[in-house]
Amino acid sequence: MAPQVFQLAQTPVTSHAFSADRNQVCVSFNNNEAQILARRGNEWAVTDTLTEHDKIITSIDWAPNSNRIVTASQDRNAYVWEQKPDPETGALAWKPTLVLLRINRAATHVRWSPKEDKFAVASGARAIAICSFDEENNWWVAKQLKKPIRSTVLSVDWHPNNVLLAAGSADLKARVFSAYIKEVDEKPAPTVWGSKLPFNTICGEYSSPSGGWVHTVGFSPSGDILAFAGHDSTINVVYPSGPAVYSVRIPSLPLVSLTWTSENSIVAAGHDCRPLVFSGSEQGWQESGTLDDAKSSSSSGSGFGGAGTPGNADVRGQSGSGSTSSDTKLTTLHQNTITEVRPYEIVGGEVAKVSTSGVDGMLVIWDANEISALTSKLGGARLG
Amino acid sequence: MSASSVSRAAMSNVLRPYLAAVRSTLTAALTLENFASQVVERHNKPEVEVQTSLEVLLNPLTISRNENERVFIEPSVNSVRVSIKIKQADEIERILAHKFTRFMTQRAESFIVLRRKPVPGYDISFLITNTHAETMLKHKIVDFIIQFMEEVDKEISEMKLSLNARARIVAESYLTAFNA
Amino acid sequence: MDAFRKIDIDQYDEDRLDASELYEADPRDPAAVLDEAKQRQAAVRSTLARSDIPGALAIVLENAPYGPNVDDAKDVTLQTLLSILNSTKSTEITPAIKALTPDAQDTLMKYLYKGMALPGWGDISGSVLLGWHEKLTEVAGVGCIVRTMTDRRIV
Repeated sequence: MAPQVFQLAQTPVTSHAFSADRNQVCVSFNNNEAQILARRGNEWAVTDTLTEHDKIITSIDWAPNSNRIVTASQDRNAYVWEQKPDPETGALAWKPTLVLLRINRAATHVRWSPKEDKFAVASGARAIAICSFDEENNWWVAKQLKKPIRSTVLSVDWHPNNVLLAAGSADLKARVFSAYIKEVDEKPAPTVWGSKLPFNTICGEYSSPSGGWVHTVGFSPSGDILAFAGHDSTINVVYPSGPAVYSVRIPSLPLVSLTWTSENSIVAAGHDCRPLVFSGSEQGWQESGTLDDAKSSSSSGSGFGGAGTPGNADVRGQSGSGSTSSDTKLTTLHQNTITEVRPYEIVGGEVAKVSTSGVDGMLVIWDANEISALTSKLGGARLG
Repeated sequence: MSASSVSRAAMSNVLRPYLAAVRSTLTAALTLENFASQVVERHNKPEVEVQTSLEVLLNPLTISRNENERVFIEPSVNSVRVSIKIKQADEIERILAHKFTRFMTQRAESFIVLRRKPVPGYDISFLITNTHAETMLKHKIVDFIIQFMEEVDKEISEMKLSLNARARIVAESYLTAFNA
Repeated sequence: MDAFRKIDIDQYDEDRLDASELYEADPRDPAAVLDEAKQRQAAVRSTLARSDIPGALAIVLENAPYGPNVDDAKDVTLQTLLSILNSTKSTEITPAIKALTPDAQDTLMKYLYKGMALPGWGDISGSVLLGWHEKLTEVAGVGCIVRTMTDRRIV
């Protein structure tokens, strides 16, 4: 099936999170508001606007079972939004609950834990806030993971056991922490990452191979494998019991977001403007193709291929008019950086569809199994 | 094909690998994201300009044809600074290049990505931030810089030609006075 | 203004990262590194005599010196590399690049930029470096350039 494309706006979609039934999506258009859109056929219409932040919203997550939304912003705050009946009219409305993050820099990324009783907020304060609900005061309180983080934390991802947390940061490291909260969690069963797990235990620390900021991290569905991608255009897969780390150097621009689609495949995307698929096992990992078959755009301006053909390059080199309107469009579906990749539809334990949002204002739903071979080294860039 | 377009094509063939290198390096550097300052609370600054957090600055790269023609690209997490040294073969070209860049930098706001002051050692600098990369298409920003580099050389050599032509006309009409 | 008012207090932040913490230092002694670079120079000479360009490149790009205090070794390595680059026919460039490991390709890219940052040094020729740069980008992609930017193990 061809990808479903929705042009939501002409401004960047910083983050997106679908509701459990996929009929609603919460997005932020690169500003301090989060919009809830409801699907009407092939269109998305704004139904609610969440306004409480006073700086740009960096990340949104929608808990599927408890139907709560959490938003994080550069204003150093996070809010949990719940749908509650209005005391007067009785109509359902999204109400914010305060979160005491106690961080003094931007919040950069937020994710609900699998049981939805905690969430983790990554921040520029070189810390991760693990938040849990305090019934007495009716607010969310945070406990901070600090050591040994040395720079802005860019992303977090929960292990399926609700206790372990992976984090990628600008200090060029991906780490696995224990985010065990005594009041909330039961004692976790031992995993490949360790057995004794008091709060802030470091269960693993991995460097990006060529010094890139770690943009994105993700546990495999079983939680036994960790993947992380960095600004050095690499994606790395860690088998902790190995201990083996497989690094895949990619020829294109860095990846900023990834999601596992099964125990042996990953979809990742970023500055290259198209989702790439990686596959492998304990024996090794490699790039296996892209979800973007490049059929969506016209055949003109064959991207990277132009660089190698002297005929083309002469035309390009001759004058500035080589780049006229005919090649304004990239051959990829997304026309600018992809900000986030998320699982959209799960069939038989494997992710069948993924969704991506981009700086170009698009939201796209892709079939995760329609992988086409890479024909050019670069999607979202034209050389030559 | 006229004589001038032949010579221009020949020039471009020499220039092409240089521009191709600038294009690929710029493409690699224009991988920006929104990044709030981790030093100053609630601020968001171009890290390449403030230089306060080492880890978010990347290695600056130079692309050069020779000592007189180079491009300096300083990437960081949320901004890239691109500085160009324009070819100046003689005194006239130096004056023209100076006048030309001065004209542009005084009108920097209409060029959006232009920096008011060049980085030391270069004639003109651009500062591209994540906001630019969000409001404009990344590959069109690259096109703009490349086109600027092509045009500026052309512009300066054309100005030099017309300057020489004018000097010749002035000299001729001045000297005809003595011819009579 | 008093001197103390100009102190950059942020430098005393204990979480602040220094340049040296952004990569793993080379454990080797600078003198040993220089020796190795010289040995490689000799090895490259004899390999070049057999006109084995890929072999010569592989020798010079393996385990290249990086970090502070090894400037002499870096200069020797750059010189050795330039002797290979300058003596390669343009038709031989692409096959030679394709024969390299991804690691060596990344290192080669670092040296091309190092060379371009030093116009006029030794026998650097801008057009030779640009020619190699173009062909290396074709083979290894812009990802290779991105890694030259991110990798703080500067050659």
